[in-house]
Order: sequence, then structure tokens, then C-alpha cells
Amino acid sequence: MLEAIDIKKSFSSDGKVVPVLEGISLKLDAGDYVSIVGRSGSGKTTLLNVISTLVRPDSGEITYEGVDLASVPESHLNGLRKSDFSVIFQFHHLLPYLTVLENTLLPFMNSLKPVSRQIEARALECLVRVGLADKARRLPGSLSGGEQQRVAIARALVKSSKILFADEPTGSLDQQTGDTIMELLAELHRDGMTIVMVTHEMEYARLADRIVEIEDGRIVH
Amino acid sequence: MNLATIPFKNMRRKPAKTVLLLSVFSLGVISIVALYQVSLVVGHNLEKKLTAFGANIVVKPSTETLSVSYGGFNMGDMLLDIEDLREVETTAAIRSISLNDRISVVAPKLVSMYKMNETAVAVVGVRWEEELGIKSYWATDGAMPRNPDEVLLGSQAARKLGLSAGDRLTLYGRDFTVSGVLYDTGSDDDSVVLMELGRLQAMLNQPDRVSFVEVAALCSGCPIEDIVSQIQTSLPRTSVIALQNVVNQRMSSVRFVQKLALSISLVILVTASAMVGLSMLSAVNERRKDIGILRSLGYGKSRVFLIFCLEAGLIGILAGTIGYLAGFGASLKALDFLSLSEGARPIFSVTQLAFCALVFPLITIGSSLYPAWKGASIEPSRALVSL
Ligand SMILES: Nc1ncnc2c1ncn2[C@@H]1O[C@H](COP(=O)(O)OP(=O)(O)OP(=O)(O)O)[C@@H](O)[C@H]1O
Ligand SMILES: [Mg+2]
Repeated sequence: MLEAIDIKKSFSSDGKVVPVLEGISLKLDAGDYVSIVGRSGSGKTTLLNVISTLVRPDSGEITYEGVDLASVPESHLNGLRKSDFSVIFQFHHLLPYLTVLENTLLPFMNSLKPVSRQIEARALECLVRVGLADKARRLPGSLSGGEQQRVAIARALVKSSKILFADEPTGSLDQQTGDTIMELLAELHRDGMTIVMVTHEMEYARLADRIVEIEDGRIVH
Repeated sequence: MNLATIPFKNMRRKPAKTVLLLSVFSLGVISIVALYQVSLVVGHNLEKKLTAFGANIVVKPSTETLSVSYGGFNMGDMLLDIEDLREVETTAAIRSISLNDRISVVAPKLVSMYKMNETAVAVVGVRWEEELGIKSYWATDGAMPRNPDEVLLGSQAARKLGLSAGDRLTLYGRDFTVSGVLYDTGSDDDSVVLMELGRLQAMLNQPDRVSFVEVAALCSGCPIEDIVSQIQTSLPRTSVIALQNVVNQRMSSVRFVQKLALSISLVILVTASAMVGLSMLSAVNERRKDIGILRSLGYGKSRVFLIFCLEAGLIGILAGTIGYLAGFGASLKALDFLSLSEGARPIFSVTQLAFCALVFPLITIGSSLYPAWKGASIEPSRALVSL
């Protein structure tokens, strides 16, 4: 489904070039549940961002359903970001001035054509599913960290995206809230969604089918 | 819910900032609208005042000249068929053209020659009320005639005849008193004797006759050519001439007022636009993260661009509408304050309102193009940078 081959990425800071990813290859099949682990600074987030198209690699190839993503126009990538891919960041992924429902519908608000009633109904269903039915009209500022994560998950559900990229989705949450998020991910996986999750908690990493460990920009396991 | 929801809700979320920006731009629009309205009225009033400094159209009997030369002798130009005008008919015709609201003064005149003690002078009959309407610059040693038995002398004529204010003189066998002598005007008035038109017509036994008619017309808002051609149409047997130098000089004063207003408006507009642009630029910087989120959700650059344009456009529509309404009110207040409220008033126009509500958004969008482009070029990876 998604394949990354020999990905290299370095950042320059203070005039020095710091290599972060040094030739990583990763293959995802439909329905996979992969967790990425590694020390802080090992390049997990960078890898996730590269394969979710948010960051361009310096070299290497990423193909999605047989298409080389380096050679497609921007509009094609926008299409993938809108429907096939969903990203859950550790925090800050909601627009503070839009309600929970509007944030869930954000991917469908990108034109002057109003969002259809159907999609709005589906968004409400998805909010029910993540347990936020009664908070649909609230602004994100009045939600807890776990609730905000669940809005992002609901957004991925409305899009019925094929791959969910999650970067430490439980990172800022307490144990109990973290557990409910992990349960939700497991549920989505059972429904057939492909999931890539970065985490540094082995307990959660083990819930995945496959664990990939990164060290110094390379896959070691 | 659509793309417009995003800028709209963002503006609502920050009422203080939105209101501030809206006020600044509305204030700009208010000043421009008020300035425009006031300058129209001031220009109009100014022109009306300037008509007191002379006529700009002359209606004369149509004449044909014939150059006569015979046997090698040039006998000069001969005027054929000079027929004086009829006063009542001519002035009524001028007053009744469809642009008659542009006619300020109609001053008929009868010119005759009179020989007094071997000295020839021109005696000109005028309607005093009308004449003073276009000769407000006249200053006299003595007084203006108060009755038909009094005459006013031009400075040269007085010198030539050796007369001064209070003296008596005889014209066409009747006695008159010199009420005053004009100070030098540098015009034809210096060399003539001015008297009441009706009296002159009676003495010459030419009732209702005039030699020519001077007209003071207001030409802001319509070209003098239109007024001239309308008078010509209603008086086909006359020749109607616009005194272009007078017209131009007068219009240039009026245009100066309008140009001044325009330049100030431009400065205000540029300042207000710069404020909008700056505010948008800071909004873009403030919302890099938001833009990153939108981009990571598949919003293309053009969509992000559009969001900022919509935001700027919304400010422009609101400011244009509020600004026109408030600016119109302000112009009335300003005219009262400047004691210019008598005479012409600004006219409320829905067309102008629509124009403001259409053009000002274009201006705010125009001044937000660069910030919007900056916003659109923010990469999706920006969403990842936690601020
Ligand atoms: N935009 C950037 N500019 C410069 N350096 C960067 C940038 N993003 C990441 N880095 C550097 O790349 C290295 C890897 O960062 P990355 O965020 O991928 O690590 P990580 O494995 O996710 O760490 P953590 O577990 O702390 O989240 C770090 O040394 C980081 O400083
Ligand atoms: Mg990380």
C-alpha cells in the first residue's frame, strides 16, 4: 500500500547539517498496525512526517498504491491529505475558533460549497463513536487533552481515511485517558484502518501487529 | 459551513482586533466619502460665488460680415442685418432651457452712442439687479444708482467728461445725476456710462430692445458646450458664444478643490490600506500553525489564499457600507459646521453605496494579496511546529 525506500533526511541548524534519517525503508500493507519506537531524538516524528507527505525527504522514494509521490503534482498530494491520510499530532491540531463539529468537518470545508447534510450527520455519528456527542458545539479550548485527541480521531473517521498516522497520541495524557485512546485505535484497526503510531511507551507499542525501532536514523529492529 | 466559515469565525473569535481593524478602515472610508461630498458642495458653492466675477456666455444677434472691396479699394468689413434682440423673449428663452438650474445670472444690455459736448461716449443700459450679480467686484467712488434718474460712470468716461459723483449731466435731453464713478476695472466698463435699461429703452424709443445678453452659467457637472447648445437651440437666430477663458479659469478653481480632496483621499486610502495589509500580515504570522493544520488536511495553497482574501473582503464590505453611511452623515455635519449648509446639499445615492460596498473590498483584498500569498506559501510541515 505505502512503501518508503531508502529515505534520507537531514536538517541544518546553526549552519551544521544534522542527518536525522539515514536510509530508512518501510513497507505498509493495507490493514497493518505498526508502531514506531526509539529514543528521543532518534527521528521517529521526522519519519512519520515524511511518509505522511508533510515533510519532503532529501532522497529516497515513497510510493502510495504504486504511485511515486515525489513525481505527482501538489494537487494530488492535497487530495491524499484530504481523504486517504490522516495525521494525529501530539497536540495542537484543532483550529481554536471552530467548534468541535466544525473541526471534525474541516477537511470538507475547503470550498465555498456548503458541507452536505449527509457528511454533517456522519461527523456527528463519528463524534458519538469517540464519545463526544454532547460536546459537538463546544470550542476546543474548553476540551481536555484527551478529548482534543478524540476530535482528531473523529476527523480521521469522517474522512474514512485509509491510513492513520499518530505521533504519540497519548503523549500528553494520563494513563486512563491514554488507554481509551488506544482502545479507539484498536477498534479502528479492527474495522480495517491502517495505523502507524509513534510512541515511546512499550506497553502501547505492543498493541500493534509490528514494532519498528529506530536508532540514529536507521531501523534496527 | 463552508470555506467562508473559517475567516468569519476567526474574526468573530477576536472581536477586539476585528473591530479595531474595521474601525480604522471604516474611518478611512468615512473621511473619503465625507471629503468627496463636501468637496462637491464646496466646489458648487465656490463656482456660484465665482459667477459674481463675470459672465461666461454671451448671446448676441447673429451677424453676417461681408468683406467688400471694389476696384482695388478695400472698404473693410460690412456688418449686414444687425437686428437687436428682444429682451423679454430672449431672457425668458435662456431661463427656460432644460439645464436652467445651471443658469445663475442673465444680464441683458443695450448699447448706444451719445455725443456730449463734442465727446462721444457709449451709454449702456443694464438691469442693475442682474448686473451686480455678475459684477460683484465693482467698487465705486460714490454709490450705485438707486433710481432710474441716476447713472454710474466708468473711470475713463468720468475723466473724459470731467464729471464726478454728485454731478449732473444731460443724456438724450434728460437730466441725470452721477451716483458714483467706478474705480478702474481694466474692462470695457471703464469707458461707458451705465444706466437703467428700461429708461434707456424708453428714451431711445426702442422698448424691449437689447444689444446682447450676458449669461453666468455654472459648469461643474455639465460641460459649458451643453448649456451653449441648449441656448442656441431655443434662440436659433442669435449667436451664442462661450467665453472659454472665463470658463476654464473658473473650472480650474473648482477642480482645484476637487483635486485637493482627491489627493487627501488618496493619502487616507493608502494609509488605511497599509493598515489592513499590515494587520493581515501579522494575522498570517499569528496563524502559521492554523495554516499548517489546514494544509495537512489537504487545503491547497489557493484555498489558504482565498481564506485570507475572504477575510479582507469581508472587512472591506463592512467598512465600505458603514463608511458610506457614516461618511454621508459626517458630510452633513461638516457642512453645517463650515456654515455651508445653505444651497446645495449632498444627495444620498444607493448607487454610491453599492459602489463603496464593492470597491472597498477590492481595495482591502488588493492590500492583502501579499500577506495572503505569504500565508499560502506556508508549508504543511508548519503544523508540526508547536509554538
Ligand atoms: N525542523 C527541524 N529543524 C532542525 N532540526 C530538526 C527539525 N525537526 C527535527 N529536528 C532534529 O531532528 C532530530 C530528530 O527529531 P525527531 O523529532 O524526529 O525525533 P523524535 O524521535 O520524534 O524525538 P521525540 O521522541 O523527542 O519526539 C532531533 O535531533 C531534532 O532536533
Ligand atoms: Mg517526536
